[in-house]
Amino acid sequence: MPDFKSNPQKEIGEHPFVEVTATVNGKKVTRRVPNHFRLIDFVREELHLTGNKEGCGAGECGTCSMFVDGALIKSCLMPVQKVINANIETVDDLDRDSGRTIVQQAFHKCGSSQCGYCIPGMVMAATSLLRKMSNPDREQIKEGLGGNICRCTGYQKIIDAVELARDVMNKKVPASALEENLIEPVMGARTPRLDAPGKVTGAAKYAADMEMPNMLHMHVLRSPHPYAKIISIDTSAAKATPGVEVIITSADVPGIDNFGVFIEDQPIMAREYVRYVGEAVAAIAADTLDIAIAASKLIKVHYEVLEGIFDPQLAIKDGAPQLHSFAKNNITKHTKIRKGDVEEGFKQADLIVEEVYQTAKIEHAYLEPEAGLAYVEADGCVTVHSPSQNITHHRHALAKILGRPINKVRMIMSTVGGGFGGKEDMIYQGMLALAAIKSRRPVRYVFTREESFIASAKRHPFSIQYKMGLKKNGKIVATKMVMISDGGAYAMSTPGVMNKSAILGPGPYQLDNVWVDAIGVYTNNTPSGAMRAFGAFQSEFATESHLDLCAEKLKMDPIQLRMVNLMRDGATTHTRQKIDRVLAVDCLEALVKVAGWDEGIPNRHGGGPATRKDISQGKERKPCTLGTHLTDREKV
Amino acid sequence: MKKRGRGVACGWYGIARTAAMDRAAVWVELDDGGTVKIATGVTEIGEGILTGLCQIAAHEMGVRPDDIVLADNDTARVPEAAHAGATRMTYMIGNAVAVACKEAMTKFKRAMADYWGVDPISIYAVNRRVWVENSPVMKMSMTEATHVLKKEKGIVIVGSGLFTSAHTALDPDNGEATPWQSYVFGAQIAEVEVDLDTGETQVLGVWAAHDVGRVVNPQQVEGQIEGGIVMGLGHALMEEYTQNAGQVGTPGFAKYILPTALDIPNMYSVLITEPDPKTPLGVKGIGEPCITPTAPAIINAIYDAVGVRITSLPATPEKVLAGIIEKKKQNSKKVNKEKSEVLA
Repeated sequence: MPDFKSNPQKEIGEHPFVEVTATVNGKKVTRRVPNHFRLIDFVREELHLTGNKEGCGAGECGTCSMFVDGALIKSCLMPVQKVINANIETVDDLDRDSGRTIVQQAFHKCGSSQCGYCIPGMVMAATSLLRKMSNPDREQIKEGLGGNICRCTGYQKIIDAVELARDVMNKKVPASALEENLIEPVMGARTPRLDAPGKVTGAAKYAADMEMPNMLHMHVLRSPHPYAKIISIDTSAAKATPGVEVIITSADVPGIDNFGVFIEDQPIMAREYVRYVGEAVAAIAADTLDIAIAASKLIKVHYEVLEGIFDPQLAIKDGAPQLHSFAKNNITKHTKIRKGDVEEGFKQADLIVEEVYQTAKIEHAYLEPEAGLAYVEADGCVTVHSPSQNITHHRHALAKILGRPINKVRMIMSTVGGGFGGKEDMIYQGMLALAAIKSRRPVRYVFTREESFIASAKRHPFSIQYKMGLKKNGKIVATKMVMISDGGAYAMSTPGVMNKSAILGPGPYQLDNVWVDAIGVYTNNTPSGAMRAFGAFQSEFATESHLDLCAEKLKMDPIQLRMVNLMRDGATTHTRQKIDRVLAVDCLEALVKVAGWDEGIPNRHGGGPATRKDISQGKERKPCTLGTHLTDREKV
Repeated sequence: MKKRGRGVACGWYGIARTAAMDRAAVWVELDDGGTVKIATGVTEIGEGILTGLCQIAAHEMGVRPDDIVLADNDTARVPEAAHAGATRMTYMIGNAVAVACKEAMTKFKRAMADYWGVDPISIYAVNRRVWVENSPVMKMSMTEATHVLKKEKGIVIVGSGLFTSAHTALDPDNGEATPWQSYVFGAQIAEVEVDLDTGETQVLGVWAAHDVGRVVNPQQVEGQIEGGIVMGLGHALMEEYTQNAGQVGTPGFAKYILPTALDIPNMYSVLITEPDPKTPLGVKGIGEPCITPTAPAIINAIYDAVGVRITSLPATPEKVLAGIIEKKKQNSKKVNKEKSEVLA
């Protein structure tokens, strides 16, 4: 029987201990750890094997996958008591000190790692599959990796790597296929990624993998209300908890407490008001994370709950609650593009098509939740390591917030486990720096997946009213787009996103008459911010959908309609910039050449029997019907 | 019953900081052993820029990519290169690395020319070797050259580079501006299969053509395009962050659905590689341009397949199925109407 005997709970945030003996990467270890530890905590926090990362803490992303007695398991779901006397393998020493396994070499060769955060889990899943099946086909490989999420690569190069590893193992291709080619000339070569060896073995250190002697752990108390006035914050009971080093609130900020990429409207912790669910209210740094979490429950915040505003269409109306005193009608940014005369254009049109398009609020879902480590150097410089996409701007902002000269603030970009724009806003580095200054100790903060969802910026959801006028030959004579977007509680990148959505929205077409309004609005929702394609994803979605609609009404092929309107060399953009060289037509022609395209009016199959000749040509994948080959799967 | 269809969409994107002066600075040193140190303010967020910058530096400095050491992204130790985003990494920092290396190599060639007593124009440095054109004896490794210059001439070869892209702010009334210097164009075709009974859409193939400028590393360019397509697929079909009176309804991956390996189409990238005429290297970027056409191409393909126009993303099975049912109702009404007209 394992010994579950432990010391009785004595202090707030202290847990009983359990003794765990297990074989980890071939070595027998015995440790006493808190009895709520999961296998991931045991391996990462106790044994300091940080190769396997934590991505979600809920068994949904596969990043933390390890082997327990040879079986692939998600280590965030396994209580540490279950691995007593078990044999555990992590990615850190998969090849027992002899370098990299065939799978890891294949991942390197194929360019399968990008940010690298999901890759240890992917390597484990691929290894598991190839241990059980010697010759899986591409579809079986996809199933084998089905429990692992990657947000960067699109999976194709990961699947390629597993196929390469399979073929090397089966001696269908020589092992030399795994080697790096030293290709000349080096410009334009498929040089394998120089950072891949560290990413496929888990050696790359992300912020959550870093530790320093005497380090404190931070936990943040967040607002449960979308909109409320903070009447008082009582931290006395929490402060008195043994092991709590500092508790900070907005009252502790020494300088001018506002940050923002375009509009400095956000304090590092809520000041007077909370404006969205998940906004930071207080931060606790303590000897252990358990103590910090327990102490946060002793903080008493007295809120006066206010009526929030959640719909941007209502927020801009007179009489709506005003979330920021400087923003009349809650308008964060209104970008206008006016070129030519749209009304005149509509008069000339043979066809006018109107539609409303909507895009969703989107989570970046980088696999690495936000994390950081801050400390004060001997010369008094406060240093923050974090996966920040904008260390230059963060240094400026933080110097002002902390009231220090700019050379006494140092920002270091740690290995970034995916960003996509979501790590451009300084939503936690201020708290870390302040806690390090106040405690004079290193402080580490690691977001949970839930915190990352509720507290970080999202892609702006758009509502787009579209009106387009065209001639019978397909020539667009007027484009009008009125776009309203929910920017959430703080501006973050809203002004920039409105600009980009407006400038690019009408698409790569030569247009004489353009009218665009892009209006970003404050609400009490999660703030919207920067995300890959920054407003153009939304506005160009509307334009490209609309053109399809117009093609059908004009009884034209959708590519033909685009060819009529695409910009050419010397085009004048919607912001009246002349561009000398335009390769839009070249792209479309090259595309048609490789993909094939059977000309016709949209909605051919929806309108009747299948008539397209370009589909099912064998270049597309087979459709996937889950569960139809269960007998095979049982063996997997 | 399942039906297939195809859709197309174009896209364009201005690269680097929008409507604002963009800049990136780099320091370089030819170091012992013929290695090279590059110091710049911001690099890798996963896209592969670290490898790309090492390729550019290796090309300019006559060494190999693994001879390069890139200094940490650290505001106290390296010059400013602004932020990691806006499809500006290869374009801004790649160009700045090239400019810095060219300056260092001008000094290097001058110093080696002095050493050998020849014209700097006759000095070549490629793949770890330096030599004088048409000379059988005046040649050495970059390791030796670095050593000779330091020990015999007291010279450390350093360089710096700056790349600026001049962009102007929008006129507040009509938007007139030069928001970017360089644009990336593109187009994609998607092929889908829609299940008429469940409304479920599977994307089977996506073809993508983008004008990416001079290519530094095609593997990394494809990696960006494939990742962008799959992110666009997620946005098109499944992803939605929901809130009810400010409370988040999707705070984890069980509720917020992302594409997995089982959801991905076969993807084909076509790279139009005409160099950008406005920059020293001719490079552009692809991180963001690749995502804009994917969702409309998929939505247009769904329409082509089943005649259901989705105007509100994502095109969940529920929305597509509702559209299919609605369409059936309208069709049967039309048929009934025609019948009654015939009877009348």
